[in-house]
Amino acid sequence: MPKKMGLFVLSLFFLTAMLQATFKKEDIKVHRLENGLKIIFYEDHKIPNIAYYTFFKVGSRNERPGLTGVSHFIEHMMFNGTQKFGPGEFDRIMEFYGGANNAYTSDDMTAYTDWFPSHALEKMIELEADRMQGLIFDPKVFESERGVVASERRMSVENNNEAILHENVRATAIMAHPYHWDVIGWMSDILSWRREEVIQYYRTYYAPNNAVLVIVGDFDSQKTLDLIKKYYGPIPAQSPPPPVTTTEPPQMGRKEVVIKKEAQTPSFMVVYHGPRCTDPDFFALSLLEKPLLQGESSRLYRRLVRDEQLAISVSGGIEEKIDPYLFSIYVKPRPGADLDKIEKVIDEELNKIIEQGITEQEYQKAMNIIRSDFYFSLQTNSGKANLIGAMELLTGNYENLFTIVDRYASVKREELPAVAKKYFNDLNKTVGKLIPQGGSK
Amino acid sequence: MNRLLALFLSILFLIPAVSMATIKLPQPEKIVLENGLTVYFYRNPELPLVSFRMIIPGAGSAFEPQGLDGLANLTAELLLKGTSTMTAEEIAEALDFLGARFAISDAEEYATVYGECLSEHLPRLLQIASECLISPAFKEDEYKKELSRKIDNLKAIKDNPGSALRQYFRKAYFGDHPFGHLSVGTDSSLKKMTLQEIKKFYSSRYRPDVAIMAVVGEVEKEKLLEILKSTIGKWPKPSTPAPSISIPPVPVPKGKKLIFVDKPDATQSYFALGAPGYPVGDKISARASIMNTLWGGRFTSWLNTELRIKRGLTYGASSSFQSWKIGGLFMASSYTKNDKIGEMLDITFDLLKKAKAQGFSAEEVDSARNYILGQFPPTLETNSSKANAYLRLIYYGLGFDYYDKYLKEISNARPEDIKAVATKLLPESDFVLVVVGKGAEAKKHLEKYGKFQEKKITDPDF
Repeated sequence: MPKKMGLFVLSLFFLTAMLQATFKKEDIKVHRLENGLKIIFYEDHKIPNIAYYTFFKVGSRNERPGLTGVSHFIEHMMFNGTQKFGPGEFDRIMEFYGGANNAYTSDDMTAYTDWFPSHALEKMIELEADRMQGLIFDPKVFESERGVVASERRMSVENNNEAILHENVRATAIMAHPYHWDVIGWMSDILSWRREEVIQYYRTYYAPNNAVLVIVGDFDSQKTLDLIKKYYGPIPAQSPPPPVTTTEPPQMGRKEVVIKKEAQTPSFMVVYHGPRCTDPDFFALSLLEKPLLQGESSRLYRRLVRDEQLAISVSGGIEEKIDPYLFSIYVKPRPGADLDKIEKVIDEELNKIIEQGITEQEYQKAMNIIRSDFYFSLQTNSGKANLIGAMELLTGNYENLFTIVDRYASVKREELPAVAKKYFNDLNKTVGKLIPQGGSK
Repeated sequence: MNRLLALFLSILFLIPAVSMATIKLPQPEKIVLENGLTVYFYRNPELPLVSFRMIIPGAGSAFEPQGLDGLANLTAELLLKGTSTMTAEEIAEALDFLGARFAISDAEEYATVYGECLSEHLPRLLQIASECLISPAFKEDEYKKELSRKIDNLKAIKDNPGSALRQYFRKAYFGDHPFGHLSVGTDSSLKKMTLQEIKKFYSSRYRPDVAIMAVVGEVEKEKLLEILKSTIGKWPKPSTPAPSISIPPVPVPKGKKLIFVDKPDATQSYFALGAPGYPVGDKISARASIMNTLWGGRFTSWLNTELRIKRGLTYGASSSFQSWKIGGLFMASSYTKNDKIGEMLDITFDLLKKAKAQGFSAEEVDSARNYILGQFPPTLETNSSKANAYLRLIYYGLGFDYYDKYLKEISNARPEDIKAVATKLLPESDFVLVVVGKGAEAKKHLEKYGKFQEKKITDPDF
């Protein structure tokens, strides 16, 4: 859930074959302060600007019932006042200095993304260091921001049929692990978070030893490190947060969720439990999603949209998460389309992959897509900062960015059917249907 | 410390951060192919990537025959659905295989072609692109598939109040003016659509002699020339003169036009308020950017501060100017719980009045100036954004020093100039207001604004 408009798409895990000389591992510098704060620098002087990304190892994965959505709420409160800077001043000062920012919270992490002209660097470091420890959670502002988040939930979930279905399917497929709930949290939790609990949560997770800074752009690493020491150095480390220990038990049979609501078009999705993003199977499934779901040449697009004309669009794939999550297939059915038929087509196509795998052409296509997307994401300071930071947080080491090519290349085409068989089976499957009220099936 | 005092002090101690952004848009080379197609090229060897963009003036939605909304969009989509030598499947397969990005779409004034790929794939991508542009097959079955998908998509749009609002607003504001044509089509326009009309639109509107193209990225000029000659350079120049691309003046609202769209399952009401803006390149552009930045264009804008930051009424509220050759549009929009829509609109109108009457402080103008200058360089960071900038400068006749001049004007604007812009451009009593929400809860909060024309979301068209 981002602070502002627009959906955040985590673009990670792109192939690194023949990494261009202009973006080398040796040019990335890393430093760790005594309080545990890790800083990753990459200088790039093409434009007089800097992308300054702060990642905290906290997301909805770290929440518990009653406190769902609180990670995202703190993301909002991070703009609402510290002992040093009053509510809203963070944004006012940043914009006065020519900077802009956004933030997002996912299941696994919270990121604060600042973009500003180089001359504003020291002020930005001061602002970011300050809010890492000094939030005041003014009670009046707390209530007002609660209203903003409730509005965000109404907009992004309750007025969006796909999101309603997704929330229900996720909560049905995942029983025990905190991935059970969406990042935004349940409405009743949003309306009843208590201030003291939220402050406690902030103290636990917003600590230098639980954060990573990624700085990309037009600056001098040594001078910047001196400034970082000056502003972040005095912030004390905290006890490490408790680990997330809940493991999702294996699913033991097909599940189905049916939502009935006023709508003009139905919605449909299928999910399978998948592996965590560091698992070798993850790369196989990430590769498989391309011929299955990506682009108009993909198998499911061909069958559902073009040939059988059951759907307006299809999308989905495996998402990269710290703990095992889902492989999702989203279908936007045509009004009145037979949803059972759609499920049957998906089953048939998955079975073909289990029985015959994918063609050499499809394998090459997946590799080309992975490689192109990787370079597309390296075009900007912010693209690089996001890639470095997300890799560091999800896999524990940003350097994986430079070796991930080997992970993909090590997946043999012949191994794909076995991986498909392991995950794409009925016991592991949850189906979601949103059926327009009073409408056709 | 008192919150307001703290703010005051922090502003006093802010170092004036004004400094000209040092980025300059590099000057491209101009190449004119034999068929009249003009290509602007800039080599950027940084990554093994190339982007290209093309605009085809006159092939946009404004040039659709009246009542055939969606024709320009369908034409653009069908170009990728089969050529004289490739089927739709083969085109999709070839494009996906490269991992390339490729799209043909319609804006109001022109059609756009966009492509981006690894440098090694440029010859193949341009080959596919030119096939699609030069020899589309326009097969009946592909047309029927696209048309029926478009018809179904209208229902999906109406399920989402935000996307429905955009369509209702455009129709309400522009009416029968060509800018009122909806790319998504309407129930009635798609009923009347014929493949014959699409073929006619294509053959008269898609032509190389009016098109402009920009290529930016890692490719040598000689190599690019060679590729262009054997691909897009083969697009024959028509013998007929290009059709007129003039567009009548954009309508100016007189008095209030109020429309309410009842969507009984909506838990929020969404509004869009529109009034005249200014054409691209107008002298007022830089000052209007500063004014809009302060009023509704950024996170700490007046509108977002009052509606979101102070009151928590919404997740976001913003305003923007959109400009074309012949005119422009100012639009403000947000959303809130159905029973709060009256409060939200009251605040919005108060802020319009306040800006016109008082203008903005010197500190505010400084802040907006720094913000626009500071955020400018990343807007030209990628190959694709540079290519896009070249096309805009050429199409709108702005000259390659346009951004330098624009940024200079941003630097020099004074508070009194910005107030004058607010007084001139922000609406007071002449505007179009469209609200999509749950009538049973929202309507009673709207009565004070006057009589709303009512529509049901389930009624056909927008």
